[in-house]
Amino acid sequence: MTDAGATPGFFAQVMTIVRRDLLRERRSGEVLWVTLPFGAIALLLVPLAIGTDAPTLQRIGPGMFWVIVMLFGVLIAIRQTSAETQAQRDMVALTGLDPAAIFVGRSTASFLLLVVFQTVLGAVTIVLYNVTPTGWAVLPVVLLLAASGLALLGTLAASIVSTGRSATALVPLLVAPLSVPLLLGATQALEAIRLGRSSLVWVLLMATVGLLLAVAGILSARPLQETA
Amino acid sequence: MTSTQHRTTVWPWIVMAVAGLHTFVASMTVSPDVVQGQLSRIMYVHVPAAWLAYLAFGVTMFASAMYLWKKDFRWDRRALASAEIGVLFTALAIGLGMIWAKPTWGVWWTWDARLTLTSIMFFVYLGYLALRRTTDNLDVRAARSAIFGVLAVVQVPLVHFSVIWWRTLHQPPTLLNPEGPAMDTAMVITLLIAVASFTVIYVAMMFKRIELARLEDEVLVADQTSSGPVAGQAVTAPGLTKGS
Repeated sequence: MTDAGATPGFFAQVMTIVRRDLLRERRSGEVLWVTLPFGAIALLLVPLAIGTDAPTLQRIGPGMFWVIVMLFGVLIAIRQTSAETQAQRDMVALTGLDPAAIFVGRSTASFLLLVVFQTVLGAVTIVLYNVTPTGWAVLPVVLLLAASGLALLGTLAASIVSTGRSATALVPLLVAPLSVPLLLGATQALEAIRLGRSSLVWVLLMATVGLLLAVAGILSARPLQETA
Repeated sequence: MTSTQHRTTVWPWIVMAVAGLHTFVASMTVSPDVVQGQLSRIMYVHVPAAWLAYLAFGVTMFASAMYLWKKDFRWDRRALASAEIGVLFTALAIGLGMIWAKPTWGVWWTWDARLTLTSIMFFVYLGYLALRRTTDNLDVRAARSAIFGVLAVVQVPLVHFSVIWWRTLHQPPTLLNPEGPAMDTAMVITLLIAVASFTVIYVAMMFKRIELARLEDEVLVADQTSSGPVAGQAVTAPGLTKGS
């Protein structure tokens, strides 16, 4: 039997935020019915613009996949910026939840949505561009690291500009340049595998970026909430 | 206006003019490069501009960290001033590099690690400046931009070491080369003079921009605290005098 008034632990707080964000996504369907089809359309438009030469498309397919994931993935990571009102943010702050737990919870929810986003777009890329995936041992690790890095970066940027003017327009400007190490790591790791080289250094780069973002997000969560 | 205020306003302009003239004379009197000819003179502005960008973004990071620690708005203004100057000199370094690249490499732009990462650094700090415009609340603005200012500095070592970590078309570090400068002594001395003059220009620009930022903050606070007209103030009581 637990004390009804006791503060839940850190992990329980994280899970509460994850459940809330995923429930909101289930109700709104923003990622599934808006961002995901938008990304698929972008993959469809590229061959129409540059030509439908099969070998060219096969060569640029993986790169296009990562560019679309990075640019459209930002929209997934920042969706709470446009969805949440100031009153809702104040309400969450008043619940006494640990700001770091809120950050981790939001990042985790974004991570899960980004994994779904990547998986579906990956399948679309394979079909449209006739790409043959290589490196089945490393590919899932790269996908997971890219999703976690982008989720952490987007959540951190969204926290920084959450209440400002033109916040939804600004976050992509902050996130896109800072996501370059993730884009480089993901593309170069898979390129290294294709050429039969070790991809460890690129995987480590992505892991390090993710770790740094997690530390920065957790440390800045309280100061950011206090100035909201 | 007091004499002290007058000196504070004018001396940075004099310093900037003297240091700029100094760089111009030094870079125009040194002999041209054997291979590149007169084109090599671009280096005396391009390299100091790139150095100033590093310095400026480093100062932004330091001032941002100091703001987070001390909560003193003077550090916030220093971070802003340095970031703005850094963006200006990054743009100058990129622009001059492109002017040099067209006759040398045959293209304005090439997908080289140094060039690409420098342009990304430029956009990161443009984002920093855009972030500062999202709110008029001084506390919120200072805290959020300070956190971003600390994070953004990771771009600086990436840009600097890109020519070592990747095989690039861009030449390796000119002055900070581990094996010593690979240039004629007269050119190295001229380059050092240019770097020193640009650093002086940076300091003078910092004073001017910090002064301006302080005035901007004062105007912002005055606007927020001034009592505007009260609702209904324009409505006057009807004349109820006898016989009206």
